[in-house]
Amino acid sequence: MITVHNLRKTFRVRQGGLLRGSSVIMEAVKDVSFSVARGEIVGYLGPNGAGKSTTIKVLTGLLVPDSGEVEVGGLVPWKDRRTHVARLGAVFGQRTTLWWDLPVHESLELLRHIYRVPEPRFRQNLRDFTELLELGPFLNTPARALSLGQRMRADLAAALLHDPELLFLDEPTVGLDVVAKERIREFIRHINATREVTVLLTTHDLGEVERLARRVMIIDHGSLLYDGALASLQARYGSARELVVDFEAAPPDPQVPGLELLGANGTCVRYGFTGAAAAPIARVTAHAPVRDITVKEPEIEATIRRIYEGGLLRDGVA
Amino acid sequence: MARPELSPSLPEKEGVAASALYYLRLYYLLLRAQARSQAVYRVSFALDALGSAFITLAEFAAFVLVLPRFGSLSGWTLGEVSLLYGLAELAFVLMDLAFGGFDAPNLSQHVRSGSFNTFLLRPAPLRLQIFGSDFALRRVTRVVLAAGILAYGVMASGVIWTPEAALLLAGSVLGMVAFFGGLSVIGGTLTFWTVESVEAMNVLTYGGRTLISYPMDIYGQFLRKTFTYLIPAAFLSYFPVLHVLGRPLPDGLPMLAAYLSPLVGPLMLAAAFAFWRVGVRHYGGTGT
Repeated sequence: MITVHNLRKTFRVRQGGLLRGSSVIMEAVKDVSFSVARGEIVGYLGPNGAGKSTTIKVLTGLLVPDSGEVEVGGLVPWKDRRTHVARLGAVFGQRTTLWWDLPVHESLELLRHIYRVPEPRFRQNLRDFTELLELGPFLNTPARALSLGQRMRADLAAALLHDPELLFLDEPTVGLDVVAKERIREFIRHINATREVTVLLTTHDLGEVERLARRVMIIDHGSLLYDGALASLQARYGSARELVVDFEAAPPDPQVPGLELLGANGTCVRYGFTGAAAAPIARVTAHAPVRDITVKEPEIEATIRRIYEGGLLRDGVA
Repeated sequence: MARPELSPSLPEKEGVAASALYYLRLYYLLLRAQARSQAVYRVSFALDALGSAFITLAEFAAFVLVLPRFGSLSGWTLGEVSLLYGLAELAFVLMDLAFGGFDAPNLSQHVRSGSFNTFLLRPAPLRLQIFGSDFALRRVTRVVLAAGILAYGVMASGVIWTPEAALLLAGSVLGMVAFFGGLSVIGGTLTFWTVESVEAMNVLTYGGRTLISYPMDIYGQFLRKTFTYLIPAAFLSYFPVLHVLGRPLPDGLPMLAAYLSPLVGPLMLAAAFAFWRVGVRHYGGTGT
């Protein structure tokens, strides 16, 4: 569905005034290659300014790269804009594609004409999405009066009415409560499964990636740092597991042989370890009387942060 | 459920007439959406409509009050000046209505907020979408006023109402709409690079409009020559009006020059759209 080979894009950034200033070349994306198969959901992660949105803009045909080959569904995005975008759907979190002052259904009707969706197909899709996303209660409400969650759902429907093969999602659930987040994720999973829509998801919300994508790509400073399964990212680069111990009384010496002492606060002491938890638990209980023990799994967020900060993967893409 | 074997891409090999019809219909639907959006804000709509009508009225009132004191303006009676002024005002307001999407503040707002990308992400022609992105109906009061001033001008100046005169004046309006539309497109295109240059463009657009609202012979030799030969604004309304009033064109120009407005205007617009394409390509290079 998507093939990107040696993509490179630089920007000229002006510094100082229009007349006196000089300009600096900034490499937004340098030598990025990847491919995405039809029907995949890929999480695309990276801190702000890492090159994420530049990549997306190239893939959607908004930007022309300096060099490299890009093909989306057999087309070069920036060469044949109108044919290309007819097969895309996009939801860019903070921005709506709906007409602000028009009732939602009128916006959708306009999009039907813009995308030239045949009437029966449009009716069918509208019926499906209205049911799945529960659009019914606000189809007659103008976009400006929608809550954030409603607006997101309406925008998702708007992005999918023309049966796109590829869907770009940028922070699709940012700012929503847990229930609303889950409803949208469920919908994304559903259309991915039933319609084989390929999804490229950029987000800061790792929970989202965990729930939706099996594969992640991580970009920082314009280079891909990781491209592979989310599970193996965690196994390989995850930090140690954590043992949180509540002792009967504050131990005079919290240090336990074989365990890394992470911190102590009165009776509560935290240790780091790798592998199975049985042996470390036995050691701790042998050390002093224990009231309670919990094992904390490393968070993927911490893993990603470690990757950004430590350049853990800088040597090569896995 | 299997993925429907239905490509949403444009129908292949569509006839020219069919796609023209589709674009017209889409343009109509987009304008209707704009109109419906504005209907939501009734009070502000009414105030805007009154306010913009006031501008035209005040300007026209100025020379209705002043002109009789001098008898005439370089030999132009109030009726004749009204004819010229009405033509220019009508064309300018119609242009403002149709080309609002290309207006620099609108366009730079789209670029900054990212909604310009929304247009680019849709499979309809970009310019059609920009044309359909703004349609300030509140300017309709100005259209009506301008048409009224023009009608007064036609009657008071004693134009003999032949089909030829009607065609000449209609062509003049059309030419001016295209000409000033072109200037507006250029101004809007400049915002792909910088917002600062837009003021300079406004001097041309609004200055040009004011300039051709009055008989050219009130200006000095230099201005007159500049706006005849360098910037061909005199062709737009001044020459056609001279012709319908049965006066000779200056510099011994042939009468043919009075018919050039519907040619000069579209040429300007075509040049502006060529520049627009350069701007859009530049946008594709920087994305900002």
